[in-house]
Amino acid sequence: MQTSTTLNGRISDCNFWIWSRLQEYQVIGRHLPSEANPTPKLYRMRIFAPNDVVAKSRFWYFLGKLRKIKKANGEIVSMSQIHEKRPQKVKNFGIWIRYDSRSGTHNMYKEYREMSRTDAVDALYQDMAARHRSRFRQVQILKVVEVVKAADIRRPYMKQLLTKGLKFPLPHRINKKAGGKKIFAAHRPSTFF
Amino acid sequence: MADTPTTKKFAKGERSIPHHSQKASKYYPAEDNAAPKKVRKSIREARVRASLTPGTVVILLAGRFRGKRVVLLKHLDQGVLLVTGPFKVNGVPLRRVNARYVIATSTKVDVKDVGEDVLKKASESGYFTKDKEAKKPGEDAFFKQGDKPQKKETSKDRVEDQKAVDKAILANIKKEAHLIDYLSSTFSLRKTDRPHAMVF
Amino acid sequence: MGDVEISTSQWRYVEVGRVVLFSGGEYDGKLAAIVEIIDHKRVLVDGPSKTGIVPRHSAPLAHVSLTPIVLPKLPRAIGVGALKKAWEKAEVDSQFEKTTWAKKRAQFQKRRQLNDFERFKVMKLRKQARFEVRKTLAKVRSAA
Repeated sequence: MQTSTTLNGRISDCNFWIWSRLQEYQVIGRHLPSEANPTPKLYRMRIFAPNDVVAKSRFWYFLGKLRKIKKANGEIVSMSQIHEKRPQKVKNFGIWIRYDSRSGTHNMYKEYREMSRTDAVDALYQDMAARHRSRFRQVQILKVVEVVKAADIRRPYMKQLLTKGLKFPLPHRINKKAGGKKIFAAHRPSTFF
Repeated sequence: MADTPTTKKFAKGERSIPHHSQKASKYYPAEDNAAPKKVRKSIREARVRASLTPGTVVILLAGRFRGKRVVLLKHLDQGVLLVTGPFKVNGVPLRRVNARYVIATSTKVDVKDVGEDVLKKASESGYFTKDKEAKKPGEDAFFKQGDKPQKKETSKDRVEDQKAVDKAILANIKKEAHLIDYLSSTFSLRKTDRPHAMVF
Repeated sequence: MGDVEISTSQWRYVEVGRVVLFSGGEYDGKLAAIVEIIDHKRVLVDGPSKTGIVPRHSAPLAHVSLTPIVLPKLPRAIGVGALKKAWEKAEVDSQFEKTTWAKKRAQFQKRRQLNDFERFKVMKLRKQARFEVRKTLAKVRSAA
């Protein structure tokens, strides 16, 4: 179980999501044993899903595409949740995805700076939905890797966060607490803090 | 007797036949007889808030003296409170108010010195009402409309009682600085005041 | 024409070591230090203050205000124990209490807790003080 301290800031704003939206599961399954093959090969997947039901469903979806096994002739051997090893450490993640756009299928590589793999994947889905109006079913996650060395970061939007001695001001902040939103105000608001 | 049973003789014996008014009805009533509902309620003793102890300064919220800060003297029956201004401080006489229409503050005034007999007299029924005349607008009243209304005289007993109560409380009020000014001022809400967030 | 002195405005920066104050939410009024910058909107904070602990978590910058206090030369992603030492060494709690910001906050909180009679007394005493000020002002004016 993740503690509340590991919460992603954005998500902790919402009361209904106590943990981040997605969980990571390890699902191991195989073809049903038969007389011809009493010990069929095991297949293992790491799957990001909101709950274990969806995780199992996604496992069969992917396995059906890769091998000639489906739910009717297969079984799930083991199913467990994978928790973040260091949920209080800020990490950079590289994510490879396969994305079905309206006109075709593309492979993509994106980078995110988050505190856990699930947070990174969650950010990815939000990002894809924002930039490409994609849905959950259109995005398949191929690989999630923590980029340890700063030199290996490829994207400029990530590179700018890794500069040494990073600092920036918060210009133009509006104090929403004092007075609230008014239609008319006697003075222009002070936005310098 | 009209409804005494009659006896009928038969060949082998005899049988007593009840009077027709004593026999069970052959028919059910066409409509159910409405039975009045039993009232299971009872008048419960009104219980006022714990914050309303004798001596508490309360803010009146309704009536002629709304906004006034007055001193609570005693609980009367059914959630009624006996309060006084004191009259000398803010013009509120010995008066009954509903506990619901009152804000209890955390300020207390010592009311131990108030005479027990006065409070007892004031809590008797009829103390506040007995000198009220039955109002009946007659012909006389109609013709006297133009005249100046006669000044209502307060009964001497009540003036005396008021003075006795005021004297006892005022001595204690004067002990604390600003308290007399506080009681003589009225409570009101300004634009930025949020009563739900205020501490009383 | 005289020389015009131009100085840049004194921004407070979001930087590692900056002490922030939470406003609203679970950690309202508590202090924490920025341990690492996650991105332009989020920072990793940790507050070992004696007045109220803020556990290490990612906080949106929208929920915090930057204080003038900075823990000097704090390394990125410092551990909890080391941060506590640095916090105590910099005397953050007492430093913050000295600022007018903290004093105003304390005053507001105190005023909010006053009861009806105390509010009345504050009003009266303020009136008295104002009267004295105006009286002396009138005296000075008439003398001039």
